[in-house]
Amino acid sequence: MNFKTLVTAGFVAASLATPALAEYPERPINMVIPYGAGGATDISARTIAEPLGDAVGKPLIMANVTGAGGATGSVAVQNAKPDGYTMLFARVGSHSVNPAMKETLPYTLDDFRFVTVYEINPVACAVSPNSGITSMEDLIAKVDEGGVAYSSSGVGSLLHLAAVMVLKEFGVENPLEQATHIPQKGGGAAATAVLNGTATFLCTNSSAVASFVANGQLIPLMVTTPEPIVGFDAPTAADLEKPALHQLVGWTGIAGPAGLPDDVAAKWGEWMAAATQDEGFLDKMTARGSVIELMNPEDANAFIQGQYETFRALVDELGMRIQG
Amino acid sequence: MNARRAQLHLGVGACALSLLMIFWIIPVYVSSPSNVGNVILSPLFWPYTLAGLTGLTGLGLLATRVLLPADDAPLNDPIDDAPQAWLRLVVIAAIMLGAMLLMSRLGMVWTAMLCFAATAFLVRTRHPKAAVVCAIVIPLALYAFFAHVAGVAIPQGEVIRLP
Amino acid sequence: MSFLDSILAGLTVVGNIEAFLALGIGVTIGVIGGAIPGMSATMAVALTLPFTFSMQPITGILLLLGVYKGGIFGGSIPAILIKTPGTPASSATILDGYPMAEKGEAGRALGMALWASCTADVVSNLSLILFAGWLASFALSFGPPEFFTLILFSLTIIAGVSGDSLLKGALSALLGLMLATIGLDLVYGTNRFTFGDPNLMGGLNFIAVLIGLFAIPEVIAMVWHPTAHVGKARSLGKNWVSFADYRRSFRSIIRGSLIGVFLGSIPGIGAAPSAFLSYSEARRRSKYKENFGKGEVEGVAASEAGNNGVAGATLIPLLALGVPGDVITAIIIGAFMIHGLQPGPMMFILNVDIIYGLFIGLIVSSVFLFFIGSVAIKGFKYVADVPRRLLVPGVLVLCIYGVFAVNNNIFDVGVMFAMGWVGYVMMRYQVPAAPFLIAFILGPLLEDNFRQSMLMSGSDPSILLRGPITWFFWTVTVITIVAIIRAGFRATRRKPVADKG
Repeated sequence: MNFKTLVTAGFVAASLATPALAEYPERPINMVIPYGAGGATDISARTIAEPLGDAVGKPLIMANVTGAGGATGSVAVQNAKPDGYTMLFARVGSHSVNPAMKETLPYTLDDFRFVTVYEINPVACAVSPNSGITSMEDLIAKVDEGGVAYSSSGVGSLLHLAAVMVLKEFGVENPLEQATHIPQKGGGAAATAVLNGTATFLCTNSSAVASFVANGQLIPLMVTTPEPIVGFDAPTAADLEKPALHQLVGWTGIAGPAGLPDDVAAKWGEWMAAATQDEGFLDKMTARGSVIELMNPEDANAFIQGQYETFRALVDELGMRIQG
Repeated sequence: MNARRAQLHLGVGACALSLLMIFWIIPVYVSSPSNVGNVILSPLFWPYTLAGLTGLTGLGLLATRVLLPADDAPLNDPIDDAPQAWLRLVVIAAIMLGAMLLMSRLGMVWTAMLCFAATAFLVRTRHPKAAVVCAIVIPLALYAFFAHVAGVAIPQGEVIRLP
Repeated sequence: MSFLDSILAGLTVVGNIEAFLALGIGVTIGVIGGAIPGMSATMAVALTLPFTFSMQPITGILLLLGVYKGGIFGGSIPAILIKTPGTPASSATILDGYPMAEKGEAGRALGMALWASCTADVVSNLSLILFAGWLASFALSFGPPEFFTLILFSLTIIAGVSGDSLLKGALSALLGLMLATIGLDLVYGTNRFTFGDPNLMGGLNFIAVLIGLFAIPEVIAMVWHPTAHVGKARSLGKNWVSFADYRRSFRSIIRGSLIGVFLGSIPGIGAAPSAFLSYSEARRRSKYKENFGKGEVEGVAASEAGNNGVAGATLIPLLALGVPGDVITAIIIGAFMIHGLQPGPMMFILNVDIIYGLFIGLIVSSVFLFFIGSVAIKGFKYVADVPRRLLVPGVLVLCIYGVFAVNNNIFDVGVMFAMGWVGYVMMRYQVPAAPFLIAFILGPLLEDNFRQSMLMSGSDPSILLRGPITWFFWTVTVITIVAIIRAGFRATRRKPVADKG
């Protein structure tokens, strides 16, 4: 099923359901956050919830449903009624890396209808100062010597794929063989693994390592955005002439089940446009290193599909896909 | 059931579980990728180790059984209405099963009310009126707290929606 | 800047009524939140977080820390009164707290829980203030091999909570280890025992297992024998903890606090294992060894000291390294960042006033905890007077709501019910539940750290002996196992006489 059929499916569902939804929303809306409290998705979701709640006019009930790298919460929304009262905060890990890497995932991108992507998180690669590595060149030289390891927040997480993709772009033939992946439980543990020397480097959302970089506990090697990031004294992917890495960014968006009616999606477009204008929201998000970039439903779908296909191509080329 | 008998049950149970795991559950329900480099890194390594240890523990329980006193002292307090007690266990199991089935349809609040009342009368409470009042008030109070103070999306059914 | 200057700087930021008010309110919210099973300290902190956004940084952070400390104590209230731990950290408190309540000594148990908690809190805060820098550098020398040996050692706790039969304890632990393997494999991401159900991919929810194992069997046992409790004293009565009790348990409290400080300063372990370790050490060393598990006040003291000892110490990696030790501190780090503060070594230079303000606030929080805790115990004591056959259905309903609230998933309620039956069968066969729980917590850590070590070394097992920390834990593990085996043989030889009756 491609994007077109998705829209058609949504349209059919809409024509069936429209009368009942005359005054959507008439009751509070459940917003599922598929990751735990205190994580990047959770903070982002709860920050947008304030201005978004004002725009919606009904309460938004935030529900963390965690487990399996975001899959448990995503499945809860996939199986919910497509009436717009159960929506999901979708994230790069759950909705582009996971589908690209895991064959056994109980959902695909076609099971969701994205109504927006509102936040882009640049990805940064960092090492510990004790490693003696100060640039990507040093890192690649070390990889050729052998014994380099990278940490991630688990198999099939953005951090896992990001490290592999970066190594591949910088000319490492087979990153899976030449560097060791040491998965950790969660993003915090992944950063700690680099701090205590368990792993050599990690590539993750810049916000997750910002305080370590500010404190001099980690040295940033590069960021994947075209523009430099405040506080990160490191070259951008554009400086290093690796434009393919611009695709490698984190994002947060909102999605509903596949059959979400058009008028509901349209309402979400309006609400998000209003919510992302909020001064307080913008200040808090940019202070954490996020780039606020509001996409309408079509752009959001195209963006996610594009990223998914990039990741999928890499996964297939390297044979990283997880079966069983 | 005296101590020796109980240990016999446990020992046999542990051995059976161990065999079940080794020959059926682990091979069928744990998938291991074909490119595992080393056997100790395989996803199967830990489950097989545990299953093996369970079997050994079971054998240990069987072997040490003879050390226990052979008298007839029962392991648990005896009760006077055993057949009815078994029946009550079946009923509480049914209540739990029913609660799981009803929760997504009826909503958590109404299910909890039925659950409370059924359990209170199952244990033959001496305060039937208080039980009925509690069955109505407690689930409502908990709903009010979790939904409105803690902001939890307590499941609501299709029948009557609470504010 | 001298120490005195630092303290004065700290006083200027916390020396106002709002800061203390926030602390008081925080402790109150924490105690109440912790006392509601399923709410737990974690959720109470998460719910309070949004309110801190608009406050002064120090006020907001003190509010959260108050909730955290109150929550860890509050969890012991339902653990003692209704055998349902309000917070995972208080599961060890059940072992002796609930039998005490059964004997009609709930007041004494709760009082001791409070005194031990406050003492451990003070010890923990002082360690934070005096040794933060030193303990933090220590925490960073813990890689997977060190963790593996530490957890291997911690598993010897199982012997301490197994009761009469070590083999039954081992069986219980193995069941726990096995259930903990459900979910996605860490290294390969493949499914283990998920039986095709996406709900099982995330593994069994810890709180659902915990409540299922302890609270639900009580409900089923009541159904099996509704009049078993009649004639047994159960009211809170007038009894209260005495100073003699406190003095008797003092060594265990201090030992527990130090265990808490040690485990708390290492990220990733958490308060529950600390409480169990403290409990089993207290049992091993106590003069009243035989009473443990049957309602020994020292057991309550040890486990509460163990979990509250963690509370101050988890701030060591947080403040000194910017590394969260558990979920709660991960949320608190969020609060720092929202206010533009970046915890880490630089904070001790750039924000001395905030750091010392926090230290002062923490010291005061122990006092607040003492008074607010006393009031809370008086408020909750009526639970002990509720007729049993009304209390039990109430507990059932409360557990349903609470377990759902943890992860907003009805499936978890089913897990709780299923574990309830497992727990009931274990109860009937007198298989202890505590080893199951410890194994369930530690099992995944053991396996993950083992496999991470093997990944680091390319499957060379010698990495498990790579430094003094690993040697230390290997040695104490061997010593403990030898001691357990010797004690086991001695017990078997005496058994025919000792076990009569």
